[in-house]
Amino acid sequence: MSKRSQSNQTARAGGRKASFVGPYVLRLICLLAILSFWEVAPRMEWVSPVMLAPLSTTVVTGVSELALFGTNLAVTVGSLLLALVIAIGGGAVAGLLLGAVKVLRETLLPIMSSIYAVPLVVVYPVFTAWVGIGAESKVLFGGIYGFFPMLLATAAGIQTVDTRYMVAARSMGATRPQLILHILLPAALPSVISGVRIGAAMTAIGVVVAEMMAATAGIGFLITQNRTMFNTAEVYFGVFLVLVLAGAIDWAVRSLERRAGAWYPHKVKTL
Amino acid sequence: MARLTVVAEERDRAGGDANLQVDGVTHLFETVDGPLMAVTDVSFTVEEGTFVGLVGPSGCGKSSLLQMMAGLLNPTEGRILIGADEIREPKPAEIGVVFQESSLLPWKTARENVEFPLYLRGVDRAQREKAALEMLDLVGLGEFAERRPHELSGGMKQRVAIARGFCQDPSILLMDEPFAALDEQTRMTLGDELLQIWDRHKKTVVFVTHSLTEAVYLCDKVLVMSARPGRILKEIVITLPRPRTYEMMATETFGRLRAEIWELIRGKDRP
Repeated sequence: MSKRSQSNQTARAGGRKASFVGPYVLRLICLLAILSFWEVAPRMEWVSPVMLAPLSTTVVTGVSELALFGTNLAVTVGSLLLALVIAIGGGAVAGLLLGAVKVLRETLLPIMSSIYAVPLVVVYPVFTAWVGIGAESKVLFGGIYGFFPMLLATAAGIQTVDTRYMVAARSMGATRPQLILHILLPAALPSVISGVRIGAAMTAIGVVVAEMMAATAGIGFLITQNRTMFNTAEVYFGVFLVLVLAGAIDWAVRSLERRAGAWYPHKVKTL
Repeated sequence: MARLTVVAEERDRAGGDANLQVDGVTHLFETVDGPLMAVTDVSFTVEEGTFVGLVGPSGCGKSSLLQMMAGLLNPTEGRILIGADEIREPKPAEIGVVFQESSLLPWKTARENVEFPLYLRGVDRAQREKAALEMLDLVGLGEFAERRPHELSGGMKQRVAIARGFCQDPSILLMDEPFAALDEQTRMTLGDELLQIWDRHKKTVVFVTHSLTEAVYLCDKVLVMSARPGRILKEIVITLPRPRTYEMMATETFGRLRAEIWELIRGKDRP
């Protein structure tokens, strides 16, 4: 789309919104309402403070133990980044192979989608027995958690590439690597990006859940540890950090979508 | 217009005589219900520099035949030759295909689409950009070079697809119902433009179409095919002089040739 028509649309949309309360304002109001409830409810004893620490207490506690939370957040982020390499990188490569190679697609793809439907948490205890409860286990677990949705989305994207593009490129003499690089991958991109979105979120869930179940460090570990000690404020600060982490991932995927969206006639649709 | 010397040299090495010869070609499709005969014992010659039409009822194997000529599909029996060279795989320097506009790559601009065949064979950037822009100018889309297909009308997209075929610069261009998706007025205009470009570039053209008017208007010779399994019923030489004009459509010769083709397709014995 040309810059001009894009800005025209924005201007028109903005003009229409101006007469109502815009969605951004509404969103802000919702957020403020949730935060106020968080502060007021335990103070007014609507909710027991053991169940929910007030926002201010949570923040003050968190800040006073910033070093502890900081080092554990670093552990979680480090594990998450490694897990993302497995999930996104591995999922993309495996998805490309399974999508493009008929034999693999027909034999392995149904198995992969069955595994995706299994809540993998059930095997985590077995998992820790194999690889221990150190960083390796949560990296692997988070990686595997995100690997399947990434693989399936990529394979689906590759399979649904319009064959007309392939035929046209072949008639122009495209070699196999050229077909993959210049036709398959760009054509599958919207689907691949929605795989990144789901895969990255699942990876984060996998890492934090692994930390909560059995680990020696990380935000998930802190949450579980403090919960057993009824340190409600610490628990909620941990939860708050997980939310920030999820927000950061969302922001990263969105900026990726924006860049890819410029390639495509229709903006990439995601969940 | 300056020819792409790289391509011209490639072609000269391939051998001068560039008649396209289809020799006893039969093609069987393997289907779940057993083999299906798409075309049977088809033979014809397309002389270098001529504009030849291929018409026939839907499903008569026109597209299979075209794919075989493009080297995208191999005949079950028989051979397809350019000069002395047998076509078994795509040979982009000798044979190019103009597909319907929907084969344009949506993530590339008009210019990038047009220069794509040159990119695939490693022509350097400046040279392919120049060639693509010249070709886009020729089809009247110079100022739309940086638009993506979804920003162009159907007729404009088809012009880009034609420009892409000519930019590839093969000695023979196969056109697979290029105007089928367009309205009649656009179709007529594009037909005229195509004849002008053809006149300047002196390529051999094989033009598959459903439109009898189009076939008579554009071609030197029309090959009429039977219903499946497709055979060549007759080669009809179009005796109208060139350049072709709209007025010729009203002539008795035009009407007679068009009727002759229609009678062949419909079957003489039917009422």
